[in-house]
Amino acid sequence: MTRRRQTTKNIFRWPLWLGVLTVVGLASALFGNDHWDALSWIALAIPLAVLGWKASRAH
Amino acid sequence: MTARSVKWWSLVHKWTSLVCTLFLLMLCITGLPLIFHDEIDDLFKSEATARELPTDTPQAPLSRLVDAAKARYPQRYIQVLGWDDDRANVVNVFSSATPEAPPGQRFLKLSFDSRTAELIGEDAQQDGLMRAIRIFHRDMFLGLPGELVLGFMGLLFVAAIVSGVVLYAPFMRRLEFGAVRRAGARRVKWLDLHNLIGAVTLVWLAAVGVTGVINTISLPLFSAWRAQVMPDLIAPHLGKPPLAKLADVDDVVAAARQALDGNTPTSIVFPTEARFGTPRHFIVWTKGTTPITSRLFTPAMLDAETGQLVTARGLPWYLRALQVSRPLHFGDYGGLPLKIIWALLDLAAIVVLASGVYLWLGKRKAPRAARVPDRPAVAATSALRP
Repeated sequence: MTRRRQTTKNIFRWPLWLGVLTVVGLASALFGNDHWDALSWIALAIPLAVLGWKASRAH
Repeated sequence: MTARSVKWWSLVHKWTSLVCTLFLLMLCITGLPLIFHDEIDDLFKSEATARELPTDTPQAPLSRLVDAAKARYPQRYIQVLGWDDDRANVVNVFSSATPEAPPGQRFLKLSFDSRTAELIGEDAQQDGLMRAIRIFHRDMFLGLPGELVLGFMGLLFVAAIVSGVVLYAPFMRRLEFGAVRRAGARRVKWLDLHNLIGAVTLVWLAAVGVTGVINTISLPLFSAWRAQVMPDLIAPHLGKPPLAKLADVDDVVAAARQALDGNTPTSIVFPTEARFGTPRHFIVWTKGTTPITSRLFTPAMLDAETGQLVTARGLPWYLRALQVSRPLHFGDYGGLPLKIIWALLDLAAIVVLASGVYLWLGKRKAPRAARVPDRPAVAATSALRP
């Protein structure tokens, strides 16, 4: 937690990168099988892992 | 952002969310088993597979399969013949009890071994739980009006996502990404979780939301295309006597293959009074062979009597968009791991929706003094700070 005022750029940095990963994950499985599917799983698993990590610190 | 615009966006977020939340919760919950419908179907219903034969066994002429289907149920109308997606060397012949085959009427599915023309399965496609869930998810048993209502709810959901993104900035001004304040009120913790999960799943929520909306207008889109192409297709046949005799189905497929070289036929719509076909043509649906083009279906129209090619133009852009939006909604295009990811994201969406309702209820119930101020910029920075 920070008391400093963050710039809008800072605020959206994480959501933006996780969003880019999601787009890569959604698109890559459309482009092909095998490697493309694996790329898709990894790209989509990272935001989920970040979510799990951050949320687990709520308790 | 000024306090006024924050207030305005809060109102947008509140009302768009409130109206669509119950519908979206229903869609998320019914959607969860639908993600795995292939696996669940396999679990409860094992379909007969084709016999083991040497790999170079030639395919039987399709006309033999059609004749066998006719011989078995002479009073039924053969509407569609389709190569099975999951079972090798299996071709299904679908027939209806009436020539019009109105939407909702179930087809009888006869499955044949495509090499021996032997009947290996018969499926009346009766009501099952998964079928009921699918229809409820699509239109709440209300047909097209239900579908359009859900489409409108999807649009509201997209508006809620956009307003949520706008509001994210003032709420997070003094919080690090993913910060969940545990020490204070429960409401604060859930506000932070709502923001965190929403921020992480945002793109997926938007993708599944928008593609879901596109799916809800698939019937009108197909009707629009039909209205566009049918007059030209039917004009030469106006005033002519009824069909005397159908062209040989194998000739029809050969002509379609030649016209759409490189594509694989997936199904044949027989000349029909039903809305999905035309009374004077065979429609051979084909798909490409690469991972992307295998999602893009292109029809060839062939004359019902002569079997000659009439047209094999590609579909208009809006039907292409519909075809691409389907896998992105269903999550069925990247194997089981992708389906599991889809399910986890779906569960995350349920938490976002439920926490949104909780936050709204909590705000309404709280006594005036303890109320969180309406301006979230203040709420997130000072008033709620433990």
